[in-house]
Amino acid sequence: MQKLKYRVVRAGAAGGVVPMHLAFIDRSDVIKAGISNEKACQLVGAQFTDGVAINVIDLDAITVTSDGIIADGAVVAFASADRGKINPNFGFLNVSEIPYTQQLMDEEPHMKQWDTDYYRGKRLYRGPSAEDRVHRSSHNENMTITGRIASNNTGSEVMNLIEMTEILTPIFGQLQLVRDGAVLIGKTGPEMSVGIGMVVRERRGRIFGWNYGAGMTAHRSGKYAKTVKCEDYSIVAEKSLLAEYTIRALEAGLVPGLHLGCSPVTLSIAKAMGLPIGLDNITDDAWIELESVGITKESLQKPSTPLSREEVIARADEILPGIEDGKRYLASDICDICYVDCL
Amino acid sequence: MHTKLPDFYQKVTDAAKKRNADTKLEIRGMENFRAAKLASLRVGRVEDEIMEITEDPNVEKVEVIIMPRVPETDHSVIIKGIYKDGTCKKAILESMLVTSAGEDIELEGVEIIDDRRYKLP
Repeated sequence: MQKLKYRVVRAGAAGGVVPMHLAFIDRSDVIKAGISNEKACQLVGAQFTDGVAINVIDLDAITVTSDGIIADGAVVAFASADRGKINPNFGFLNVSEIPYTQQLMDEEPHMKQWDTDYYRGKRLYRGPSAEDRVHRSSHNENMTITGRIASNNTGSEVMNLIEMTEILTPIFGQLQLVRDGAVLIGKTGPEMSVGIGMVVRERRGRIFGWNYGAGMTAHRSGKYAKTVKCEDYSIVAEKSLLAEYTIRALEAGLVPGLHLGCSPVTLSIAKAMGLPIGLDNITDDAWIELESVGITKESLQKPSTPLSREEVIARADEILPGIEDGKRYLASDICDICYVDCL
Repeated sequence: MHTKLPDFYQKVTDAAKKRNADTKLEIRGMENFRAAKLASLRVGRVEDEIMEITEDPNVEKVEVIIMPRVPETDHSVIIKGIYKDGTCKKAILESMLVTSAGEDIELEGVEIIDDRRYKLP
């Protein structure tokens, strides 16, 4: 009988800070099993007597982080399961492919990365389409809900609605788990709390849509933005890996605050490399949030010796802000590899 | 036609106890509504369905739970400053999305789930 492989970070992993089960299915394993993404999520969900969030990840596709950096891997479906079931109306969301069009490339300057050698020709997945979102109203976020488990922002923010716990799983961290790499797990902290609001304007974004563009803050919460996820834990990629992908975007000529979100990470790397920053395009609201974590226009304008990409990657832990008391784990330390029969 | 909220409570209570006055009843989910009108055709269906549930002689208690069908709901927050005389000069309206567990948490271990809701679009 055909078996479906999946990975699971179990509740209580990483010293007890992971509050619920997180399962990841490689899309290529779904194809091998000859089943749909939804069926794959149902099979995996049925293996758990309590709640689990499930993401199907295509490692051959690309997606985009909230601050506009392309990642080489994408969530192509996600689900919430509880007591072995997935709610038929709200428990599963497919994420349809977004085709390459000249209109998209003209409207969304950060997508220039798609034309680089790293990503040219790869399939793009970001947020669900209107057809994918069936049953949801316009106010609903890209969220699946079954029983106690809600998975929001296209599978990157998972909650237990009864225990009221939460964990963030930004895409680069998820990809490391599926690729058997290494992750950092720690408190999200103030810089990342600010950074997740510094977005790019996208039609069908994973999290945000067209309302806020580069240089703006979608949080618009002033000095309080830094507290939004501060105490929740996150599973993220090691900073050297995040630096690599951010540098790829900067080397494509994209400017934080102008084409990319003005997150503390994009700004810190551009500053370290002596690359342009769209200082005049960053809004007053965004500056308030950045200044609350010590990033000021003056600090970004202060003369410094530019570092090479290799130097930034080597010193990424020092240069890239975010994550408090992060501990490094190999995926194999916290992830079980499991198989389920494809009935 | 719509039914007054107190009449809804009464109709539910009457239906639950029609076959057996000793049947216990718990109604949950409308606590925040001081006044409301409920679609009468649906109220009638609920009355019939309560009767159907109590046809089983082993049922000692009926629970009637009302919750949002879409589990992420869009609310307004109204913040008012009240003067000594009870008047309000200024109010601020804010948005609040509330995500809460849906019907699944009430259905664990239930053998037969007969879903008679209209289909979502």
